[in-house]
Amino acid sequence: MPSNDHYVIIGNGPAGNHAASVLRNKDKDAKITIISDECTPYYYKPKLTGFIQGKISARELMVNGPDDYTNGYYKNIRIRLGQTIERIDPDFNAVFLNHMEKIQYTGLIIASGGQARVLPSMIPYAEHLSFIASYSDVMDIKDRIDKAEEFFIFGGDLVGFKFLRMLNAMGKKTSVLIYPNAFWPYNLTDDMLEKIIKSLSGLTSDIIVKDDIKKIEKNESGFRVFTQKGVVKTTDLIFSFNGMAPNIDFAVGCGLDTDHGILVDEYLKTNIDNIYACGSCAQVYNPSIKSYCVSIGWPNAMVQGEVCALNLLGEKKVVESVGRKYFDLEGVRIKTTWWDDINDDSLRM
Amino acid sequence: MKKNDLYSKEEKRFRDKNKIYATQSVKQIAYSTDNRDFGQVARSIPCQDACPAKTNIPGYIRCVYEKRYGRAYELNRVANVLPGVLGRICSRPCESACRHGEPENGVSVGICHLKRSCADLKPASHKIIEGLYSPTNKHVAVIGSGPAGLATAHDLAILGHKVTIYEAEDKPGGMMMYGIPEFRLPRDLLLLEIKNIVRLGIEMKTGQMIGRDITLDELKNDHDAVVIATGCVSPRMLGVPGEDLVNLHNGLEFMRSVNQGGKPFVGKKVVVIGAGFTAVDCARSAIRLGAADVSINIRKTIEYMRIDETEKHEAQFEGIKTYSLIQPSKIMGENGIVTGIEFIRTRLEKTQRPPYRKSVPIENSQFVIKANSVIAALGQTPDSQVISNELGSIDKNEHKSGIDGVFLAGDFVTGSSDVISAVAGGKKCARAIDEYMTGEIRKQTVVRLENHKTTDRPRAFDFIGKIVMNTVEMDARLTDADTEVETGYKDDQAHEEAKRCYLCNLKYEIDPLACIYCSACIDVAPKDCIKMIKDVPVATDGTFGPYVETNQWNNVVSIAIDNANCIRCGNCLAVCPMDCISVTKTELIEIDT
Repeated sequence: MPSNDHYVIIGNGPAGNHAASVLRNKDKDAKITIISDECTPYYYKPKLTGFIQGKISARELMVNGPDDYTNGYYKNIRIRLGQTIERIDPDFNAVFLNHMEKIQYTGLIIASGGQARVLPSMIPYAEHLSFIASYSDVMDIKDRIDKAEEFFIFGGDLVGFKFLRMLNAMGKKTSVLIYPNAFWPYNLTDDMLEKIIKSLSGLTSDIIVKDDIKKIEKNESGFRVFTQKGVVKTTDLIFSFNGMAPNIDFAVGCGLDTDHGILVDEYLKTNIDNIYACGSCAQVYNPSIKSYCVSIGWPNAMVQGEVCALNLLGEKKVVESVGRKYFDLEGVRIKTTWWDDINDDSLRM
Repeated sequence: MKKNDLYSKEEKRFRDKNKIYATQSVKQIAYSTDNRDFGQVARSIPCQDACPAKTNIPGYIRCVYEKRYGRAYELNRVANVLPGVLGRICSRPCESACRHGEPENGVSVGICHLKRSCADLKPASHKIIEGLYSPTNKHVAVIGSGPAGLATAHDLAILGHKVTIYEAEDKPGGMMMYGIPEFRLPRDLLLLEIKNIVRLGIEMKTGQMIGRDITLDELKNDHDAVVIATGCVSPRMLGVPGEDLVNLHNGLEFMRSVNQGGKPFVGKKVVVIGAGFTAVDCARSAIRLGAADVSINIRKTIEYMRIDETEKHEAQFEGIKTYSLIQPSKIMGENGIVTGIEFIRTRLEKTQRPPYRKSVPIENSQFVIKANSVIAALGQTPDSQVISNELGSIDKNEHKSGIDGVFLAGDFVTGSSDVISAVAGGKKCARAIDEYMTGEIRKQTVVRLENHKTTDRPRAFDFIGKIVMNTVEMDARLTDADTEVETGYKDDQAHEEAKRCYLCNLKYEIDPLACIYCSACIDVAPKDCIKMIKDVPVATDGTFGPYVETNQWNNVVSIAIDNANCIRCGNCLAVCPMDCISVTKTELIEIDT
């Protein structure tokens, strides 16, 4: 008898897509819908800097094109792009899109990822800031990056330093203000900071540390950045790289427990039976350390997507981390997840 | 300024089209004590219903829109004698209830900021209006000059009674003076609004502590009634080992010290425990005392913090971190001085009562962090022992103690709440005392219904973004710790923000006898607010319950506007071919019986 189930997945990244493919593999008949607020098919976020430089084409940036959802692992998965979730109504097993369309589900997986984190102190200047957090961010800014000569980068997370390398390769002039807490939820120690400065010195001669932005002024050609310690920089573009904040506004207040992400147990189940969450929007309980943490990284997102799908179908699988547990940040080892070395204070959130 | 200068070209066109003129014809007004009307007002005006003092919020926001700041101030003052104060420090239950903040409707109106605008922008020549009753020759003692005591004293003075306030501290204001930091509430403004109350002839005796300088029995003998409004002064304790260590402060004492000009030791790393306004005030004060690393630590999640979004934002802006799902299990120390704190992690568990979640410790999940000082801001409880051991059984609703002629108001009777609840409690207590002393009910709340010709606003106002409050930069906050952080809306900003209010006090109704069931109004409604109904149930309290809808035409008894969903866009009014939709302005007002 054909399945009448409808699995709805919010998010079109690695967690959401992998969850969809596992669901399709295990349940050939169920209706599966992926909803994303981005207008672009599933793409490699880590390759965005390569795309800006022109090293790869838009097609090469894509993991799946629209046609991929008609065959194979993703067969008959409906993709709803450019659709923003307004709210979830768990009592009626429904999500509402912002044009008030109501979509019923039998199981819901939230894999909405993150959005560029705007520091609270920068909210008054948010309109002056640029980000490299999504394909649409890049499309908005790509031409201006080509034309601009001077860049001011503050924060300095993994993507930020990758972007700095890219600008260096493009022959652009850069200033970098490094925040020790740009790697939220991890804080850089002084030793780590020293190593990073040494490593970056080949990319830019203008590194500012232990300072903060006081204000930003817009002028006709660009911006002037004033720091607390009196440094003034004139620049064409200002980029903020301060990590990602979970994209969960639509879930707050609907009955789901949320904190710095959607709270889920080790099975990635939320406090509501048929709703699961995975990827960087989920704050996962780890019984071995008795705490909730957010994990990052593409491999972890894929594994969590798979665990979500299997558990939604009735299994009882505990999530584990995979792939790189650390990434190398200009010679400094930063932990990507929380499964190991939790007692290492320097790496602890 | 000419009246017409208020309006943009678009607004002028709207007013001309809808024939809105500066003067109205003869008003059609009715007063109702029918529970169905009270129920309608409660359901239809969620901001006012959420306000403990039942402030006429749409009414004063409309006045702000018209730049009648003085009138707006007076409308506030009817319900709340401290509009300038509450415009800065209110806990804003109204904004949580505002229909503009409901899903799909955008963001709540900045009601509190607009309240502040009434006080800030009223003209220098503004005259306060008080409807004074004849003297009664009755004398009431009010113990405590916090918000509840002041509100009680004010309303009793209005009713013609002589009032003396006994305040234990050197200055009046209670928690507002000693609990809230000056960077949120300037003291000159607080004292000005207190002066506006006491100049009704109220005698203010400061430095008079009950039990030390004067006894309750003496007050009883010298007065016709006594009101205890001493608030909550006993801090809740952590109840963990190490609570006696040096540099562990309780939040209330910490703020009292700061507000009296003291500089309690905080060190570089400060751990604040608590999820309410006092915790945030302590954390922000610690930053101003030179702390470099300040965190607020909460048992549940940020969602359950008892503060508004503005406070969350300002704390973040000032660099304060919030750690959730942890609770203290031990204060660590060496040589009797705080060196750190041991936390245990928690998880959320569902409960049947609001807020429907409690925190549960996770066994063996303790961890320790270093700290130079710990501030425990866990709230307070009333301390009735200080006043009298013989208050007997307390009737919270009637504000009565077990002693004849001794009444209770504000947090002392309700437990720790907020300033607007204390003001509301004070007003209710004043009515109870007046009835006790005069033997009659002299004031009554009724629903005032006034025929209203138009919607008063174009639909375009619905899409205006919230106007952000102006604040001073971080430098100025640290240079002078008392500098007020929020600087208020400017005139045009207040006018713009006021446009966003839906004016839920306007009730839309379809006359079922004139309606031809064309459903044109349903077609143009942007919300699911016009319904085909088959029944209107009456609840046990006599109010109308939610409409019972039907999609079967043969069962339809009426097409009705659900004012609890209506955003007052006026589309229905514009398209109705039968002119059968009426608009009525509804207000809760007090009248003489």
